[in-house]
Amino acid sequence: MNAYSAALTLIISVVAAAPVAAQQVSFQRQVRSILSDKCFRCHGPDAAERQAGLRLDLEDDAKKVLKSGVRAIVPGKSADSQLVARIVTTDADLKMPPQDSGQSLSAAEVDILRRWVAQGAQWGTHWAFTEVERPDVPGMTDTAAEVTEIDHFVRSRLLENRLTPGVDANRIALIRRVTLDLNGLPPTIAEVKSFVADTSPTAYETVVQRLLSSPRFGEHMARYWLDAARYGDTHGLHLDNYREMWAYRDWVVNAFNQNKPFDVFTIEQLAGDLLENPTDEQIVATGFNRCHVTTSEGGSIAEEVHVRNVVDRVVTTGTVFMGLTLDCTRCHDHKFDPLTMKDFYSLYAYFNSIDGAPLDGNKKDPAPVLKVLTGQQKQQVADLETKRATLQQELKQYLASIEYVEPETPQAPIRSEPKEFVWVEDSVPSGAKSQGNTPWNFVQAPAPVFSGQSSSERTATGLSQHLFDNAPEPLTIGADDVFFCYVHLDAKNPPKEIMLQWNDGSWNHRAYWGGDHIDWGKANSVSRRRMADLPKLGEWVRLEVPVADVGFKPGAKVKGWAFTQFDGTVHWDKAGVVSKTDQQPLYDSFAAWQKDQLAAKRKSLPKNVLAVLTKSADKRTEDEAKTLTNYFLEFGYVASHKTVAPLQDDIKKSADRLNEIRKSAPTTLVFREKKEPKPAHMLTRGEYEQKGQQVSRAVPAVLPELPQGAPSNRLGLARWLTADNHPLTSRVTVNRIWQQFFGTGLVKTAEDFGSQGEAPTHPLLLDWLCAEFMMPQLDGAQHDWDVKHLVRLIVMSAAYRQSANLTSADYEKDPENRYLSRGPRFRMDAEQLRDHALHVGGLLSERMGGPSVKPPQPDGLWFAVGYSGSNTVRFKKDEGSDKVHRRTLYTFIKRTAPPPQMSTFDAPSREACVVRRERTNSPLQALLLMNDPQYVECARGLAERSFSESGPTPTERAAWMLQQAVLREPSATEVQGLVADYEANLADYQADPESAKRLLKVGETKARGDVVPEEFAAWTMVGNLILNLDEVINK
Amino acid sequence: MNLYQQHMLAETRRHFFAKGAMGLGTAALTGLNAENANAMATGEVPEFLRQYAPKARRAVWLFMAGAPCQQDTFDYKPKMDEWYDKDLPESVRNGQRLTTMTSKQKRFPIAPSKFKFTRHGESGGWVSELLPFTARMMDDLCVIRSVHTEAINHDPAITYICTGHQLPGRPSLGSWLSYGLGAENRELPSFMVMTPSWSGRQTAQALYNRLWGAGFLPSRYSGVGLRREGDPVLYLSNPDGVSDTARRRMLDRLAIMNQQTLDSVGDPETQARIAQYEMAFRMQTSMPELMSIDGEPKSVLELYGPEVTQPGTFAASCLLARRMLERDVRFVQLFHRGWDQHGDVAKSLPAQCKDIDQPSWALVQDLKSRGLLDDTLVIWGGEFGRTVYCQGKLSRDNYGRDHHPRCFSMWMAGAGIKPGMVYGATDEFSYNIIEKPVHIHDLNATILQQLGINHERLTYRFQGRDFRLTDVHGKVVNDILS
Repeated sequence: MNAYSAALTLIISVVAAAPVAAQQVSFQRQVRSILSDKCFRCHGPDAAERQAGLRLDLEDDAKKVLKSGVRAIVPGKSADSQLVARIVTTDADLKMPPQDSGQSLSAAEVDILRRWVAQGAQWGTHWAFTEVERPDVPGMTDTAAEVTEIDHFVRSRLLENRLTPGVDANRIALIRRVTLDLNGLPPTIAEVKSFVADTSPTAYETVVQRLLSSPRFGEHMARYWLDAARYGDTHGLHLDNYREMWAYRDWVVNAFNQNKPFDVFTIEQLAGDLLENPTDEQIVATGFNRCHVTTSEGGSIAEEVHVRNVVDRVVTTGTVFMGLTLDCTRCHDHKFDPLTMKDFYSLYAYFNSIDGAPLDGNKKDPAPVLKVLTGQQKQQVADLETKRATLQQELKQYLASIEYVEPETPQAPIRSEPKEFVWVEDSVPSGAKSQGNTPWNFVQAPAPVFSGQSSSERTATGLSQHLFDNAPEPLTIGADDVFFCYVHLDAKNPPKEIMLQWNDGSWNHRAYWGGDHIDWGKANSVSRRRMADLPKLGEWVRLEVPVADVGFKPGAKVKGWAFTQFDGTVHWDKAGVVSKTDQQPLYDSFAAWQKDQLAAKRKSLPKNVLAVLTKSADKRTEDEAKTLTNYFLEFGYVASHKTVAPLQDDIKKSADRLNEIRKSAPTTLVFREKKEPKPAHMLTRGEYEQKGQQVSRAVPAVLPELPQGAPSNRLGLARWLTADNHPLTSRVTVNRIWQQFFGTGLVKTAEDFGSQGEAPTHPLLLDWLCAEFMMPQLDGAQHDWDVKHLVRLIVMSAAYRQSANLTSADYEKDPENRYLSRGPRFRMDAEQLRDHALHVGGLLSERMGGPSVKPPQPDGLWFAVGYSGSNTVRFKKDEGSDKVHRRTLYTFIKRTAPPPQMSTFDAPSREACVVRRERTNSPLQALLLMNDPQYVECARGLAERSFSESGPTPTERAAWMLQQAVLREPSATEVQGLVADYEANLADYQADPESAKRLLKVGETKARGDVVPEEFAAWTMVGNLILNLDEVINK
Repeated sequence: MNLYQQHMLAETRRHFFAKGAMGLGTAALTGLNAENANAMATGEVPEFLRQYAPKARRAVWLFMAGAPCQQDTFDYKPKMDEWYDKDLPESVRNGQRLTTMTSKQKRFPIAPSKFKFTRHGESGGWVSELLPFTARMMDDLCVIRSVHTEAINHDPAITYICTGHQLPGRPSLGSWLSYGLGAENRELPSFMVMTPSWSGRQTAQALYNRLWGAGFLPSRYSGVGLRREGDPVLYLSNPDGVSDTARRRMLDRLAIMNQQTLDSVGDPETQARIAQYEMAFRMQTSMPELMSIDGEPKSVLELYGPEVTQPGTFAASCLLARRMLERDVRFVQLFHRGWDQHGDVAKSLPAQCKDIDQPSWALVQDLKSRGLLDDTLVIWGGEFGRTVYCQGKLSRDNYGRDHHPRCFSMWMAGAGIKPGMVYGATDEFSYNIIEKPVHIHDLNATILQQLGINHERLTYRFQGRDFRLTDVHGKVVNDILS
C-alpha cells in the first residue's frame, strides 16, 4: 500500500467512525483543494506569479524558512505558522488571500487549515500523480453471487455515508438499460422475452456477451471517442469546406468491435505511422492528430496557423489521455499543477513536425493523406492485378513460343484497316474528370448493357447530361475518322433528343438526333449538327459521326466527351473513334521492320529499344538483341498479331481499371513525420512570433520518465502514456468509460485530474479498476488493457443493476447519485434518441461505415451562416433509406453549423475536444422530439408496424405500440388513455381527411397505402406521444 | 421543499456555487433558499454577481460582420486627401503584421475616403454621408473610435469578440448572460439571434453557430436562431396535418403519463421535463405573436423604412428585435454580413450602409419612444477595422481596404451610456490609437457591467479553470458611463 492509498484508508476509517475522529483533517481530500483554489495563484507552481518566494504546492518549500525569516508552516505549531497567522488576522493589509484577489476563505476553510497545521501538516502527492497500485478488495458480509468486486468498494462507501444499496432493477428495466448502454439501441421485444424467460443463473451474462459481440457495440463506443477526438466532416474554420476522413471514424468503430487493447489503440492513433512497416489501418488511425479544426482563410499567416494546430494536438492529447489542462501552460507555468511552460513546449516538440502545410487549402484532402480502398475495392484491385499478371504471363509464354524465321522474300508491310479505338467502356478514360447534372451511374445487367460490364444509365426531365473532361491522354483525330457510340433508348420513356458533344478546348462540336430541344451552338453548323431522327427504341444502336461533320481537323486533340439527352431514359455504352491514325504497320520480316523503324526513328519506340536499334547489329549484346526481337514479335510481327493484340488490349483495360479505382478511392487525413524534425521553441505568452529558447522533446518532470529505449518521437510518447507506471492514462480512461454508464465519473471532472479537478468519490475502486484494466487477474479478459473486460465488469456489478427508482430520502443524502445508492437513469444522448426512435419505428438502416450521410434537416441552416463560396454552404439532404435512416454516428457534421438533432441535445460541435457532455432539459428539445419530420416518421413507422404485428382492436394496438417503446407490459389505465386519444384523433381526422393524408406524407419513406388514412394518422399521433414519454427518452 | 425545488436548488448551487466562484460561493450559499433559486431562474441579477446596480435589463448588438471601414463612416481623416496614393509611412505601420493578402504588396498607398463628412447634432460628431439616419441621432450615441483587437483574420477575430477567445470552444456573450441572469420571459428564449440579408459584397464572410453558442456551458444557454425561412424557431410548428387541438391532447396525455413516471421513479428531472413541454407549447403561441407585425402602426413601419415588410431584411430584423426586447428577451444579436470591402468600396460600402442605416436609427428611436432605451443597451459594430492603405487598385473614386486590428469604430447607446459622446482617437491615418484605447475585452466588460454583472465574477469552472468572458483581462470603460 502506498502513501496515497494509506491516506485514503485513513479517511475512510475516519468517516466511518465519524464522531471520534472528526478532528483529523485529510490533506488529500480537504486541504489540497483549498490551497489550490485560494493560494496557488500566487504561491503555486507558476514562478512568474510567485509572491514572497513562498510555494505551497511542494511540501519542502512550504515548510522552509523564507527569505523574510519566517516559516509559512511549522508542523504541529499553528501559532508559529505564518500561514495560519495570515488567514486569521483581522488586519486587512495582512489578510490572506488579499482582498483585491477576489478570493476569501470561509470560516470552515480557515478551521481546516488551522487544524491541519496543528495536526502536523501531513503532506501527500496529488492523488492522480501517484502510481496505480492494486488495492485489496474491501471485505464484505454480503456474499451473494451477483455482488462483484466493484460492489465491495461501492458498498463500503455507502456504509460510510449511512446509505444502503438499492434493490435490483427488474429484468425488463435491466435489459433495456444494458442494451442501450452497450449497443446504443433498445432491445427487441423478443430479446426482452427471452431474457425474462431465461432462468439460468448466467442469463444476464449471456445477454451482456451477446451485446459485447454485436457490431453495434463498436458504433456506440465510437461516438464517445469521436467527441474526444473532435472528429467532424468539415474543416471547422472559415470556409468550413468538406474534409474527407470518415475512414478514421470507421477505424475507431472497428477498433472497439475488435476489442483492440487500449494501449495499442492509443499507440496507433498517436504514432501508427512510426511503427515498423505500418499497415494502412495503423496509418488511418493517426487521423486522431488531424481531426483538429483547420483554416485556409485568405490572409492567414502560415506559422500562426501551424502553431495553433500543434497546440490543439498537445492540449487534446493532454485532456484525452491524461486529464491534464495543458492549455494553461501555453503562456505561463501552471497555476495549480506542477507543470511548467517548458513542459508544454517539450510536448509540443513531439507534434511539431508534420509533413504537410498548416493551411488546409480548403480542400478535402490536405496533405498528408492516405488513399483508402474499401473492402470491395481491395478485392477488385486484387482480382485485377491477378488478371493482369495472368495475361502478362500468357503473353510472355506465347512470345517465347514463337520460332521466328526470316522470310526469303519479305512481303510489303500490312497497313491495317481502320481500327476501332474504344475510349469509354465501363468507366471514363483513365484520369479524366467525370461530371454531370447528377453523377455517372453505371448499371449492370439486367439493365441493358451492350458490352463490357455495365452501361451508363440516365433518366431526365428536360436537359440532362454526363460528361468527362481533361483526359490526360487525348484522342488524336485523323482525317477520315468517325466517332461512334452505342445507345439504347427506353421504349416506354424515350428521350425527345439525344446529343453527343466533344471538347478540344471548346465544346462547340455537337451532333444530335431527334427534335431540336437543346439550343446550344448554332443550328446546322459544326456546333449543332442534326444527324438523323431518333434511332430505333428499345434496342442497342450504333451512332456514328464523321469527325468533319462536327468540325474537327486532323491532329485535333479531343479531351472531353458529353452525352446529353432531353427527357426520357437512355443507356449509353461503348464509345470511341474509328481511326487509321498512328497505327503501326505489320511486317513478316524482322529485317524490313528494323530498316523502316530506323529510317523513321519512331518516337513511339521505348527508349531502350530505340537505343538497341540504333546500334549496329554486331555491337548488340545478346540481351539487347533479344530485347529488340521480342519487341518486334510483340508489336511489329504480322504472324503474331492476331494472338497478341487481344492480350495487349485486355492488359491495358485491366491497367486502366486499376488506375481508375485507385484514383477514385477516398482519402483520409493522416499524420506523417517530416524527414527533418522542425525545431520547437518556447513561445512567449504563447505568441507564434515570439520565439524563445529552443526545446527538445521531453515529458513533464512530475510524471514518470520515458520507458527504457523509447524513441524520442510520438511513438516513444505513446509508449510512455501506456506504460504500466503512468498514473494518468488508465485512470482517465477508466473514469471516462465509467461515466458512460453512470452519467458521472468516479472523478466528476473527467477532463481534469489536476488539483483543480474533483477528487474521486471512490479512489480505491478507481485504482482497482485501473489495475484490472491494465493487467487483468479475473477471468474473462482476453489481454491487457481490455476494454470489453472493463465494460463487462461495470455492467455485471450489482451497483449497475440496481433499480433507478429513488425516494426523497435517497435524494437528500445522495442527490447526484455519486455514491451509487441507486441505478443510473438519465436522458439518452442525441444519437441514442434518434437511433432509438428509428429502431422502434422500424426504419433503422444497420449499414455500417462509409461516407457520412445527410438525413433531412430544416432548410437554410447552413446557408444562414455559411461562407458564400464554401462547398458546404448549401445543405442537400440525401435520398434513400440506406442514407437517411442510418445510425446518427454516420450523420454528416458541419462543424460551424452542426445538425440540430445533435446540438439541441448537447452533442458538441466537434470544434474542440470534449470528454464530458452536459445534459440539459429544454423546450427546444421538446419541440424537436414532437415536430422534427424524422421523429414524426418514426412515430408513423411505429403505427405502421402495428398494422402487421399487433392484434386488430384499438386496445391491442395501443398496448402493442406502447410496449414496443417501454418494453414492460402497459397498464390498463395507460392503454385506455391511449385508446381515448386515438378515438378523439380519429374523429378529428374523419372530420378533416385531408389533414390525415398530409400527416402521412411527412418523412422520407412512403406510408403504406392499404390502411385507412384517418386511422393511420390517428395512430401516428399516438406513436408521437409514445416517443416523447419521459420513460422512453430516458435510459 | 418538494423534490423539484430541491433539484432546482441543487442545480443552481452546482452551477454557481459548488465550484467556488471566486470565493463568493460560501457567503452567497448561506443566504440561498428556494426563493432565491427561483428568483435566479426568473432573471434577477444574483446578489453575488451584482457589484453595480444594473442599468440595462436587456441589450441588442447590431453586429456588422466582415468589419466596416471606419475611415468611411465615423473616423474622419481629412488630412488623408493630401496623402492620396502616397505610401503609408513605415513609422506608422511600425512593424505591424499584415495579412498575407497585402503583406506581399510592393506599396501601401493611402486611400483617402471618397465620402463627405459633416458634423451632426449638438455634440457635433463627424459622420459620413453614407449614414444620414445615423447622423440624425448622434446626440443619442456614444461613438467609440478606439476599439482594438489582436486578430487579423475574420474567423479568429469574430470568434474573439463574440466569445472572448480566438479559437472555438468558449461560450458567447449572450450565453454568458443567459447563464448569469436566466430568462426574464418564460415563454421566449433569453438570447435570440438573427442573420438578416445584405446587399453589398455577396461573397460574404461566414458566420459560425459558435458565435452564439454555449461553448462549455450547458447547451440551453445557447442563442436561439430566429430563422429567415421556415419555422422562425426550429421545429416550432406542428407537423403538417397535426392541429393545435391534437397537440394539446397529446401534451395532456403526456403530462399524465409523465406524472405517473414521476410518481413511480421519483426523478425530479421528469418534473422539469413536464414543465419544458408546457413551455414548448407556450412558445408555439408566443413565437408567432412575436413574429407577426400586423398590429404595428403604419407610423412605426415607416420609421424602419420600406424593407421592413420584407422578411429577413435588416429592417425587418430590427423591428423584430424591438418586439423581442419589448418582451424582455435578454439579449438580441443581429449579424449583418457583407462588410468585407477588400475592393470596390465605392459600390459595396454604400449598399451595406443603406441596409442598416435607417433601421438602426429607427430601432433606437422606437426604443426611445417607448421608454425602453433607458434600460436597453444598443451596440453597433464589427470584429475589427480596415486599413487606410489601399488593397488592389487605387483611384480617387474606388479602392479596397484590408483587415486592420489596431483601431476601429463602434457605437453604443441607451442604458447608462453617455449620449452624444465621441470617445477615443486615432492618429491622422486612422492606423494607431492615440487616445483612450478600448480593447474588445474592455468593451465586453462594460457591456456586462451595464447589465449588472461584474465581469470578473461571472465564471464557470471548466477543465480546472474558472473561465470568464474577458479571460484575465477587461477594464470597464467608466468614462463613457453616465
